[in-house]
Formats: sequence, structure tokens, C-alpha cells
Amino acid sequence: MEQETRGIVFKGNSEGLVIVVPEEYGFEQALEEIDNKVSNAARFFKGARIKVTYRGANWTSQQEERVKSVLDEKSGAVIESFTKDEESRQSPAVPKQHQPAQPVSTRRLFFAGVDEGNCKFVRSTVRSGTRIQYDGNVVIMGDVNPGGEIIASGNVVVLGVLRGMVHAGADGNRDAFIYALSIRPTQIRIAEVIARMPEEAEDTHLRPEIATIRNDRIEVEPLSTRALG
Amino acid sequence: MGEVIVITSGKGGVGKTTTTANIGTGLALQGKKVVLIDTDIGLRNLDVVMGLENRIVYDLVDVVEGACRLKQALIKDKRYEGLHLLPAAQTRDKNAVTPQQMVDLCEELKKEFDYILVDCPAGIEQGFKNAIAGADRALVVTTPEVSAVRDADRIIGLLEANEIRNPKLIVNRVRHDMVKRGDMMSIEDIIDILAIGLIGVVPDDENIIISTNKGEPAVTDNKSSAGQAYRNITRRIMGEDVPLMDLNVNEGLLAKMKKLFGFKPA
Repeated sequence: MEQETRGIVFKGNSEGLVIVVPEEYGFEQALEEIDNKVSNAARFFKGARIKVTYRGANWTSQQEERVKSVLDEKSGAVIESFTKDEESRQSPAVPKQHQPAQPVSTRRLFFAGVDEGNCKFVRSTVRSGTRIQYDGNVVIMGDVNPGGEIIASGNVVVLGVLRGMVHAGADGNRDAFIYALSIRPTQIRIAEVIARMPEEAEDTHLRPEIATIRNDRIEVEPLSTRALG
Repeated sequence: MGEVIVITSGKGGVGKTTTTANIGTGLALQGKKVVLIDTDIGLRNLDVVMGLENRIVYDLVDVVEGACRLKQALIKDKRYEGLHLLPAAQTRDKNAVTPQQMVDLCEELKKEFDYILVDCPAGIEQGFKNAIAGADRALVVTTPEVSAVRDADRIIGLLEANEIRNPKLIVNRVRHDMVKRGDMMSIEDIIDILAIGLIGVVPDDENIIISTNKGEPAVTDNKSSAGQAYRNITRRIMGEDVPLMDLNVNEGLLAKMKKLFGFKPA
């Protein structure tokens, strides 16, 4: 399409990502532009496992190594490999579709079931030293005490007091939320954002609260219809 | 058939051994047949606190290894009818005993005694696993410190994971003057976090240090406030409904504690 004139282009294929480098680009220029692009799209890549190939340039293995480390560092994705695209002929997509299907896991970037989906119920208080890890949403029917950890790829709902550590959207979903009858944790995390509670005097009565990401920060607010919307 | 009660805390130095000695002596004073087992192999203390150190011939490890008969290792406390001690070995370590051996030992002792109190070592490793192996009930000792409460929370989780349900809480070394000033965690704060039934609150009392050093449990001292607290706990363990001591705090808290204190007769 427009790759000849628009600089570096990222394309998806069945195995992961193809980086198309304009022929006239030097290595440093290409590296800088890849760095920028990947940094901007880090949220998109977070938690994925992808194979990356490139076209339009001939890089040495050291140069390939440098690009790979930039991708690793800036994207937050696991880069399984970074190599020159062998089939640089322009029409590889059609025959490839008829090959045996690749595992679809490469397509999934994060758990998206924050409105509905798999859910784990824990019918007890999560005490110090206990770690609940689940690929989905988690509901705790009790408190989460200091030293206890909940790590969920979806939302976390605590029907009690949250005093421990909770990580919602753990594989990168920033739309995940944390709900508790009182949020007083040692730390909460949503996707890659981490927050500590301000060290104010504790107010001890229960009041449902919800934590979500707003403007790149975790905000905790009393639950109201506005917060839900 | 007797009952095995483990006294545990996670954190060291909160008063497990003192609690074991006092409750054990208290139960014996109530006419029960009691045996205290020290499972803190390598760092034994219970014999010292009980003033029975100089009478040890055989110990727990000798019993489980079959070097002596159980009867030979039990030290009879001559001051209190019905009270016995099974001391720990000092020159071995926690791995000298397995949980299964403890289960067998507790089953054996249950036939003859009303109460078997197991003094648990600090920590959550082998010694802890041995101590809770044969237990029917658990008493969790904590002090009003964040670190002790944190460890107690971990211990309660481990007890539940080992199917020892409904452990009871003893809050030790409480200073009501400090609680009133807001310098110490209140009982309510602790119960709030741990969410288990309270079986007793033991005030901070310097008589405990004196009695511990003398080898005479404070429970026998009528003037000691801690001794009184231990006497009350003893009666609650036996299933009596004893109200908590006047804690000098507002009524709302007291009412709440009574509600939380759902101790059922055995």
C-alpha cells in the first residue's frame, strides 16, 4: 500500500508482526523510528508473545540484536524471534492461509472478558501468604489481608475490606477495575499502573469503592452510578 | 477421650510458651489430667518456664525413636496434681520428628489425658507442621503489634489449610493505658483483621517475668492480673461462659466483642 512513502510500517500476519522498512532508510534512522512507534503502541503489545520479521533492509546479526532489544524493552511483549522475512516476495499471504493452522494464542493480546467471562469465586478471607492467580475475573467473598495477593487478568471484586495487594488486568487490560467494600490496600495495580494508598488517617467504616485507570493513573472513588458509567 | 490443643503464633516472643505453661497449670488446678508437649526441638523452653528442667531424663525425640517408653519420658509435676510435661530434645533439630509420629503420639496420649497442650515453635517450617499435625483445636497467640498480627494472620491461613477450623485468639501483653491513648492497636483493630473468635486478653504484667524466671506459672498467683486472665481462659477452654475482664473501654466495643466471642462449650 503506502509503505513506500510513509516510512516504517508495521503489519500483522498469522505469526505475529512484519516490520516493513523503506529501502532508502539507514539503520539508525530505522531503529529510531521503530523505537518511537513501539513506544507509542506499548499498550497494544503488552503481554503478547509475537514473532517479528522485517523486510526491505539487510541488517547484520548485531543490528538485528539491537532492534530486538528495543522491541523487547519498549513493547512489553515477549519477542520470540526477530529475523529477516524469508518470503520477501510480495504475495505470501494467500498460500500461507492454507497451511496447518498456527496456535491462535499469538492473536490474543490480553484477557478481554472484563464485562463477562471466566470468573473464580474464593469463599474465604485471603490471608497473608496466600496468592490467588487466575486467568479471568476474581470475586473474593471475604477480606484480603496484608500479605495476601490477588492476580487476575480480569476484574477483581472483594466483598470485604481490601488491605492486601491486588493486580487486576494483569496481562495488560487497562479497562479492568477493582471493587471492594473498602479499599485500603498495601498496593493496587491495574495493567502496568501501580498505586499506593496515601498515608492518611484511616476511616474505618465500610463504603464501597472502585478503582479504575483514568488519565494513566489509578483513581479510587466511592461507587456511584457515575463511576460505573 | 482427650483433646489436643496447639498453641501457636508464627512470630517468636509473643508468649506461646508462657501461655502453654499457664493454661496447662490452670487446667490441672481445675482437676484435669493434662500433658504439655514442647515441640520446639533444639530451643526448648517450656521445661524452664515450668521449673522442671532438672528432672529431664528422656525427651520427645527419644519417645518417637523408641529409645524409651512414653511413660518414662513424661515428667510429673509434683506441685500440681495431674500435670505432666513431655520435654523437647535440646541437641537435635526439628527434622528429628515427623508429622505422622506426632499424630500417633497425640492419639496415644489422648487415651489417658483430658487435655494435651502442644507448645509450637515460632516459624512455619517443620516444627510448626509437627506441632499442628495431631491437633484438634488451636489457640493463636498475638500481641498488639502489626508484625505479630501479620504473622498470626498467616498462621490462621495455614491452620485452615490444614483443616484445623475455628482457631481462637489470645491477645497477649495488652496495655490498656496505651490503647486508650491510641498508641497501641486495640483488640477491636486486631479482631477486625484476623476475623476469628477471641478467647482471652492478657494484660501486660511484670509478674509474668518474675514467675517465669522462678518457674512458677502466674496462673497460681491470685494477685497477678495476667494470672487472672489465664484462669479465665482456662475456664473458657473447658466450655464455661466467662465474661471478658473489664477492659476499661467504651461499651460499644465490649458489646461488639461479646458478639465476636462466640465460644461454644466443648
